[in-house]
Amino acid sequence: MTPLEIRAAIAAVITSAVILVATFSAGEIYRKHYATQTQPGTKPLAPEDLGVKGRSYFLQSCAHCHGRDADGGEDAPSLLKLQISGTHMALVIQSGIKGEMPSFAKKYNEQDVAAIVAYLQTLH
Amino acid sequence: MLPWDKVHGAMTHFPIALLLFSTACDFGSVMFKKLPLARELRSASLYALAIAALASLGAVISGIALSKGDMWGRGDFGWHHRFVWPAFGLLVALAVWRLVVREAMSRFGLCLYLCLMLLASGLIAAAGYFGGELLLSGGGVP
Repeated sequence: MTPLEIRAAIAAVITSAVILVATFSAGEIYRKHYATQTQPGTKPLAPEDLGVKGRSYFLQSCAHCHGRDADGGEDAPSLLKLQISGTHMALVIQSGIKGEMPSFAKKYNEQDVAAIVAYLQTLH
Repeated sequence: MLPWDKVHGAMTHFPIALLLFSTACDFGSVMFKKLPLARELRSASLYALAIAALASLGAVISGIALSKGDMWGRGDFGWHHRFVWPAFGLLVALAVWRLVVREAMSRFGLCLYLCLMLLASGLIAAAGYFGGELLLSGGGVP
């Protein structure tokens, strides 16, 4: 390699590392900010209360497809032992699945979705 | 509040398409190195790579906003991220290297660059595949 290529490689590695570190730092800051934004008020709900609230939403909107015990129905899969993160569950609830599951973004706000996710996580 | 799912879906296609196009142009310029076309292919690949790197910033920012800062995750979501971060880092590094070196590439430098472009293309294609799975199949919901 020529000296120019070596200098360029050093610049490339440094730039890439700086951008990746900045990206991960920004992501972490946003994640913490989002966590505090979705828990307004002085005292957040205890996880068990959140789960109870989440179960009531689940029975209202999800149980007719996924089953009352979330063990699956004719048209929808079981939600027991889901191997996806809470953030991902929230994304699916809010965005829906094209051609398979409707979006619930208009029906439930972020706190409500967090309650449903908390309930689903108790099924692990 | 922006519809981040739609913004991310739109933004991600630019770096994927431009990086694959840039790689194809680079290989084309090597295959047809004796033709005047080779110089134009190298030019096209340079600009496509630079724009891909810039567009990848938009794709990454909208992705972070969409996932609420979750940088890894599990299932298809996790696999999407396992491919995205190396692809993003490599894409930025290759763009910087290429913009500095331009036409002054040694034979070894060109070989290494082409290998890394192939690797970056594979990584970004895999990241795109798992991103598509997230959209179409609910991201690993059993």
